[in-house]
Amino acid sequence: MLLEWCLELNGDFSSTVSLVIQIIWIILFLLLITGLNQKIQLKLWILDIRMKLNTIQSILEEDKNKVRNILRNLGVDVPEAVLSRVLEFFTIEPVEIEPTDIIKRMDHLLRTTETSVRRIIEASIPNLGRYERSLIESSMSIIAALNIVYKVIRHYLITGERENNFILIMQLVYSMPQLMKIVQTYHEALESFTQGRPIGDGAGPLVVYNILEKSHVKSRRVVDDTSVIEAYYKDRRIILIKAEGPGSNVGHPGAVLSKVIEELKGGVDLVITIDAALKLEGEETGSIAEGVGAAIGDPGPEKIAIERATSKYNIPLRALVIKMDLKEAITTMKKEIYEACERTLLHIEKILEENTSPNSTVIIAGIGNTMGIPG
Amino acid sequence: MNPMEIDVTNIILLVLLILIMIYLVYDSYIKKPRKKTYVVRELLTCTKCKFNVERDFEPGDFIGIIKGKCPSCGGDLKLKAIYAVEKK
Repeated sequence: MLLEWCLELNGDFSSTVSLVIQIIWIILFLLLITGLNQKIQLKLWILDIRMKLNTIQSILEEDKNKVRNILRNLGVDVPEAVLSRVLEFFTIEPVEIEPTDIIKRMDHLLRTTETSVRRIIEASIPNLGRYERSLIESSMSIIAALNIVYKVIRHYLITGERENNFILIMQLVYSMPQLMKIVQTYHEALESFTQGRPIGDGAGPLVVYNILEKSHVKSRRVVDDTSVIEAYYKDRRIILIKAEGPGSNVGHPGAVLSKVIEELKGGVDLVITIDAALKLEGEETGSIAEGVGAAIGDPGPEKIAIERATSKYNIPLRALVIKMDLKEAITTMKKEIYEACERTLLHIEKILEENTSPNSTVIIAGIGNTMGIPG
Repeated sequence: MNPMEIDVTNIILLVLLILIMIYLVYDSYIKKPRKKTYVVRELLTCTKCKFNVERDFEPGDFIGIIKGKCPSCGGDLKLKAIYAVEKK
């Protein structure tokens, strides 16, 4: 049929095909010299970003509804009021061009943020237990992060579209797969936080809990949302430091570790920090690496407190990290990570044998979110 | 020139172009990597005889709580771990 039509039209099928190809080339040439191809490309990219932005919006709404329902079940009549307050809460970074006391100022701002958000939630739900409150706090933080991602993408999309900014839209469209991955990760993390399951970042506290289970405990106290447990393990006096569990809490391990070293007047033979670390692509989840330094990923105040205290008294500072990716760090702990936590104990025993003698005093700090892990 | 003669080169080029376009559309929009699904399990260990049992996670549970009695010795079953495993 097509062949007959071609023959009727030109009498030669071959020249018809050549004509079509030549027309295609002319169209392509015209598009190139007028710059229309870029306009079409821009429109296609904008369409692609908008579709992905709509997906993010529906994820955000779904997660907001989940938290709204939890708040309603806890007796909050208007969950939107507390939710929108926490979602739009911000912290202004301290002045960086004047570095004097920046750590002190940053610590002050971070702690004020922590207590302010806590008070907003406590004021809305006065009879809430600490465990439930911590889960609500973390769930809201996840939605706040999703909200920021959504708003920033929307901002650049509208700006790029309005100003026909090809480069801006191109950067955005090529960043979208990575951003979608982050959004999906936070979305999946919400379920772990609403149900209080241990997450990958809890590897440090889990290792400390495992040591605690195998040692002879002498005393326990809680300082600054952080547990300090004095115990005996492998003939050594071990001071275990971890966030107070089993709520969603990271505590203040750096400040507390520094305080403990000062209380002991520097009488500590070794400090070991254990934390989850982001792996590089290609590295195995749950692989363990050891090194030197403070294994802690805070914005600064906690890490510097550990470094200052150990360097003041010349205490060796060792670090153990359990590797995982971002998704594994903030979603339910995978079995591979749990097994790595068990293996980490052997590494600790080796470090203790190599670096300390019996009756030494050692501080072991498990850094990370202790959700689902008591102690 | 016979009108029924077909320029083979042009036809091959057209077919190749169409195939490349189909592949690019498939690779960019249709082909998606297999998404792994996980189930959350909890590991219970007897405090006396070290008997182990793995169950589905129940919301609100956390490591260290006592959940029932050991079927083999009657000791306390303690929650030792909560983890996600790939669904088979």
